[in-house]
Amino acid sequence: MAMAMAALRREGRRFAPMISPRPITALRSSPLAPSLEDECPIGVRYISTQVVRNRMKSVKNIQKITKAMKMVAASKLRAIQTKAENSRGLWQPFTALLGDLPSANVKKNVVVTISSDKGLCGGINSTSVKISKGLHKLNSGPEKETKYVILGEKAKAQLVRDSKKDIELIITELQKNPLNYTQVSVLADEILKNVEYDALRIVFNKFHSVVSFVPTVSTVLSPEIVEREAESGGKLGDLDSYEVEGGETKGEILQNLAEFQFSCVMFNAVLENACSEQGARMSAMDSSSRNAGDMLDRLTLTYNRTRQASITTELIEIISGASALEG
Amino acid sequence: MASNAAVPFWRAAGMTYITYSNICANLVRNCLKEPYKTDALSREKVHFSISKWTDGKPEKPSFCSVFIRSLHLPDMVANL
Repeated sequence: MAMAMAALRREGRRFAPMISPRPITALRSSPLAPSLEDECPIGVRYISTQVVRNRMKSVKNIQKITKAMKMVAASKLRAIQTKAENSRGLWQPFTALLGDLPSANVKKNVVVTISSDKGLCGGINSTSVKISKGLHKLNSGPEKETKYVILGEKAKAQLVRDSKKDIELIITELQKNPLNYTQVSVLADEILKNVEYDALRIVFNKFHSVVSFVPTVSTVLSPEIVEREAESGGKLGDLDSYEVEGGETKGEILQNLAEFQFSCVMFNAVLENACSEQGARMSAMDSSSRNAGDMLDRLTLTYNRTRQASITTELIEIISGASALEG
Repeated sequence: MASNAAVPFWRAAGMTYITYSNICANLVRNCLKEPYKTDALSREKVHFSISKWTDGKPEKPSFCSVFIRSLHLPDMVANL
């Protein structure tokens, strides 16, 4: 009997070192030792499972919330995805006509960074900001300058920290109403009016699929630069072979085209970024639910072990008390 | 309707092509019949908050909640 009791006691002691190094039990005291936090009355030795139970309840709530957020993001994604795919047809003729020249060497660069207003969407905003800063570095040098136009709160928070002097405009609260072309074109108009530019580089996350968002840069050149590049040949050199109808000159047409191109490219960029934001939020919330589920499993194991250990301890006390009475 | 002047009238008035095409679109949307008209006009809502920064300091942000209707241009054109 004594050997059995000693074995059981050893079992009880074995639980303590097994449980305390576990990362999830950030509970400073292991559940086996009744501490001041447990508030047990003097003379009673029981093991409280309250701490573990509270933690399990909160983790379960978090899991429910993240699952719901994933559903919401999925439905919003469905709504906006058709819009984004339809808007791709707006800028493709421009690229066919004018080409996309990211390597154009210009004096005044303006980087338009598109990001989201709300958080919990994974790493897409950080990648956009990283690319914007990279573009800034790439295009800085003698006689060249780069300015930022920021759309969205998340990029604003990151860029305000170290690039304050280079910011021209900050635009937020873009997604209050569902995105439409009129809104983005008014926005593009504001940018064109307030910012001097030779080349506009728009940084956004292109939506390839629900799991893949590729950061892309679209370049829109000002009409003067288009003329300059046309002289050096290439795609733009063929512009003269087009006939111009109506009473407008080539310079005027180029200006109209440049403005409209900027507006179309912005529209597509904003929509694609919104899709990427919802997709990223879906996958972030999904992994968060899964992590919460794992955490819940581990906590359940701890809870059961604690419960069994407390039952074992009570049994030991009863048996040893009874055997002490017997003699 | 294309003028033979050196610049079209709207360019001379200081408008960009974007503003010009938005006003034209608004006029076309107003020509629709109900219920398509309300659907189309709901696609015209504009709201954002823009703040200009100079020398690393923000100026007071201004809201742009403008409908093109507020420019009263459709009435002007109807009276031509």
